[in-house]
Amino acid sequence: MSTPLLQLRGLRVRYGSVQALSGIDLTVHQGELVTLLGSNGAGKSTTLLAISALVPASAGQILWRGASLAGVPAHRLLKLGIGHCPEGRRVLGRQSVADNLILGAYLRRDRAGIAADLERCYGLFPRLAERRQQLAGALSGGEQQMLAIARALMGRPALLMLDEPSLGLAPKLVGEVMQVLAQLHQDGLTLLLVEQNAQAALEIADRGYVLEAGQLTLEGPARELLANPSLRAAYLGAP
Amino acid sequence: MIEALLQLLLNGAASGGVYALVALGYTLVFSVLGVINFAQGALFSVGGYLTFLLMGGKIGVNGALPGWGLPSGLPFWLALLLAAAGSGLIGLLVEQVAFAPLRRRNAEPLLALITSLGAGVVLVNLLQLLMGAEGYAFPQSTDALAGLPDVLVIGGARIRTIQLLLLLISAAAVLVLSLWLERSKGGRALRAVAEDATTAQLLGIPSAAMVRLAFFLSGALAGLGGGLIGVSVSLPGPYFGISYGLKGLAVLVLGGLGSVPGAIAGGLLMGLAEALVPSAASGWRDALAFAILFAVLLLRPSGLLGRRTVEKV
Repeated sequence: MSTPLLQLRGLRVRYGSVQALSGIDLTVHQGELVTLLGSNGAGKSTTLLAISALVPASAGQILWRGASLAGVPAHRLLKLGIGHCPEGRRVLGRQSVADNLILGAYLRRDRAGIAADLERCYGLFPRLAERRQQLAGALSGGEQQMLAIARALMGRPALLMLDEPSLGLAPKLVGEVMQVLAQLHQDGLTLLLVEQNAQAALEIADRGYVLEAGQLTLEGPARELLANPSLRAAYLGAP
Repeated sequence: MIEALLQLLLNGAASGGVYALVALGYTLVFSVLGVINFAQGALFSVGGYLTFLLMGGKIGVNGALPGWGLPSGLPFWLALLLAAAGSGLIGLLVEQVAFAPLRRRNAEPLLALITSLGAGVVLVNLLQLLMGAEGYAFPQSTDALAGLPDVLVIGGARIRTIQLLLLLISAAAVLVLSLWLERSKGGRALRAVAEDATTAQLLGIPSAAMVRLAFFLSGALAGLGGGLIGVSVSLPGPYFGISYGLKGLAVLVLGGLGSVPGAIAGGLLMGLAEALVPSAASGWRDALAFAILFAVLLLRPSGLLGRRTVEKV
């Protein structure tokens, strides 16, 4: 089997005296859409923040294409191919939609490629095209989420990590966002999707992990997890 | 009458331009870190003295090396540019000494007010140690300005060339900086760091390097102002930058904290208002400046062009 794109081995993170992650093993292979599920405070965002070097790991390893990421600062990770669409959208509200997208391509030098990707993003999210000159802060929550995803795509990551893209969106918009992610997956992009909305995430994912209080409790193909009775009871609201 | 008015306006715009330079320096650092760099006034002094030395000025009898100076002076333009760059580098040093250690320890950002004030005091005292407390006049301005006449006659008004240069150079610096911030890739990245440093890092922007860039530019603007004022008036002593630093702070608040157009508008307004004070009452100049500040803040607490602070929900 080929080297996984991303591999976490025994990853631990502590915030002061609180153990947020107590030994996570997680693998993402090239071309997969993997989802990390769990309730609020389970450690899902912490996992992504640790991969992005925004919180320090207290133990364990983060391997990217087989090599350790220890000591690599946050701003170098996109260059290596790791894109991170953070929780809460975090669009730059004082800059225009277009400028947000152009900033997503900050590391790239290929003007023609950037222009082409800009059009591709506008094609993916027609609403952003209509609002390209508006300040990002003036967009609705759903539009900001689309902008955050599009901005992350502008960096041409090999792996796109998304932190709860469905949070705070109307059900119809959740469907739209998931459809775009499924499309990106189909086009060959590797995704690590952190979600509370287990149903929506598992419907488009290849594999899933369930995180509870800093530990992985379940993992497997998405189809199996969708059918798993304990998961259904805990996260899908089914009896 | 018209000539006198023209002269007044030009004087006001010239000093307003320098105020705008200082205020823009504050704005750059404030927008990325949310704190005021109180060493800004000292960097203004540093710029003045560096320009003096680079133009071939000699250290006076009370300095550390009396009579020392460069064997031959550089032309005004080059000296000013190098002095601005030098002040920028010292601004970087201030960041390393007074700001970076606090950030590394996640200290309360307001503490940087004290550490930067301390850095400013050290800089001014170093200047005094090196150059003495005496005033310095620049070499003959005609030589300095590379053959330009001392006085120009425009529309009947006699205008000191250096005043016009002061206005043009500060306007050019302000314009270039604003365009750079607004249009260039680097400027966009700096604004991204100012708004959300963490997200900027996720986009591949080296936030720490951008903070250093802001300090360099901010120091360079102060140094440029110091050099310009030094050439046009004189260097009355190492502390002369402090009063410009304070005036710049007033301009910053007047224009609206963190607003680039606000810093420019505030600077011009302050300069023009001061110029309208008759010379017989020149002692009231600073009083008028701060009276305007109070009046504006009463009517618009966020400053002329300040962003209204919106609570996040």
